[in-house]
Amino acid sequence: MAVTAGPSPTDAAPVRSPRAWLSQYSWLGMGFAFSLSLFYLIMFVIPFGTAIWLSFNNWDYIQKPVFVNTRNFEKLLGDSGFWDALWNTVRFSVVEIFVALSLALLLALALSHLRPVYQYTLLAIYNLPVIMPGVVSVLLWKWLYRTNGGAFNAILESVGLPAQPFSKSPDQALWCITLMVVWIFLGNSSIVLLAAINEVPDSLLEAAQLDGASAWKRFTAVTLPLIQPAMAYQVVTSIIGTMQMFEPFQLMPGPGHSTRTLSLYTYQLGFEVLNLGYGAAVSIAMFVILLSATLFELQRRRKSWDY
Amino acid sequence: MTATTTDLARLSTPYWQRTRWQTWLLIAVLIGGGFVMLYPFAWLVLSAFKLPADIIRIPPTLWPEEWSLEAFQVVLSHKIGGGSLTRSYINSIFVTVTTVIAVLITSTLGGYCFARLRFPLREPLFYFVLSTTMVPFLTLLIPLYVVMDRLELLNTLWVLIVPSVFSSFGIFLCRQFVYGIPLELYDAAKIDGAGDFTIYTRIIVGMMKPVISVLAIFSFRATFNDYLWPLVTITDGGNYTLPLALRGIGNSFGWFDYSKVMASSLLTLIPPLIVFFIFQRNLVKGIALTGIKG
Repeated sequence: MAVTAGPSPTDAAPVRSPRAWLSQYSWLGMGFAFSLSLFYLIMFVIPFGTAIWLSFNNWDYIQKPVFVNTRNFEKLLGDSGFWDALWNTVRFSVVEIFVALSLALLLALALSHLRPVYQYTLLAIYNLPVIMPGVVSVLLWKWLYRTNGGAFNAILESVGLPAQPFSKSPDQALWCITLMVVWIFLGNSSIVLLAAINEVPDSLLEAAQLDGASAWKRFTAVTLPLIQPAMAYQVVTSIIGTMQMFEPFQLMPGPGHSTRTLSLYTYQLGFEVLNLGYGAAVSIAMFVILLSATLFELQRRRKSWDY
Repeated sequence: MTATTTDLARLSTPYWQRTRWQTWLLIAVLIGGGFVMLYPFAWLVLSAFKLPADIIRIPPTLWPEEWSLEAFQVVLSHKIGGGSLTRSYINSIFVTVTTVIAVLITSTLGGYCFARLRFPLREPLFYFVLSTTMVPFLTLLIPLYVVMDRLELLNTLWVLIVPSVFSSFGIFLCRQFVYGIPLELYDAAKIDGAGDFTIYTRIIVGMMKPVISVLAIFSFRATFNDYLWPLVTITDGGNYTLPLALRGIGNSFGWFDYSKVMASSLLTLIPPLIVFFIFQRNLVKGIALTGIKG
């Protein structure tokens, strides 16, 4: 760089003095970078560091933290509360993603056959629950799920089916929440998939049709491979979203710990039983699980579209 | 010749322009599905206008027997731990508007800085910001609470605003967008003697309108609907935001008179509904554009 002939407007001048070094940079850029770094230091680096540090300590928020080495993590391995919470989180997450994505794909496929005007209008209806605050949705569904005089049981009885306990039953409570979450996010997921389907060139589908490919074959051999990136994106954001979901589990809990997930468990440990060290350990475990799930999914999907 | 033209016309005809009975069946099914989606929502709206005797009826009836505004009057005068629904309304609007404006400024400026300006550690800093999105909020929840305690922000509205003034997602989105703005525009302004900040305010912000509206909706939704963070940091009812006030009303009335819960839910939904109907087009386009689920 120092031997470049003639001054270049984009290249930095050879560094000689601090002044010269500074002059190659933008003051606005440096000011922004400084405030950004300060913000992330206080709002991310320190809290994340504290979370890791705290997971090796016991702290009740009042007395001084006590260093306990890896005992929190050892406790975690033998804690049925943790494993139950993990099992609930995974069950909820997998079923929600599978059901919501299948329905969203069907919806997006159906919508893709309509004119854009109809697409937008129908999407607006399917998207309505997405804009509602989670608390509103949960309070509403909690009421619809009531055992006595709930709207859902009224429907079941009107078609001659027995009334269900819904959220009152440890076997059904988690799936009641799952159904509600599918309802909330269905429209949102289908927007992403619809955008991808609309991008599939019609000429490819026409060519396949001329070659005598059936509608099913056209879907599996043309559309599906081409929307893989959108599907992968949807799966990954859904993993992140469902694993961290909190409102339904706190406001519409099933009996006992039947719907306690990792996020609710972390909250309870930190803010109800004030076992902050152990709560931090659970939250670190959650971070590791989420990161592994995301990376695993990305890796798995990447194989299928790298061709 | 004519045959070729019709062939071409047929080949370039999108699927949706071939009206067949299947298309109508499809529309019918989709509208049916739309009714299923709207069904819970119908309960919310109609129950808000019911009288207490009407709401506890078994089996329940969707349509109110007699339309009444009683539930609205009761919840608007109801005290929620030292605050009220009206108070929470003001708090929510204040927090949401402030946060959205802050996020829009930091994200557009950040996108511009990271894409076009030179400063030390530019790339490492950007990838660091991006990587923070991989850490779940639940992991940061407990220590962030401690930090806010040390900063003496707990139980003020600022605790809801300060941690969100920079948005990793917003900076990422804007950076991608600024890369799409032709470099010539930037260079021309530079040659005319415009400073970095002038270029930002005069050129970049104006060109970023599509991404700004998308970001505004996402940011609005995230802030207005947030529940966990206010739940942890706000204990004084006077500083409750709407989700917390709703939870309070659910605790007070949920056991016997749900019309009050539905009435306050309906009132809470007004701001998101307004934003939704103004920006619905942008939202769809924006999600399609960015491929982001908010």
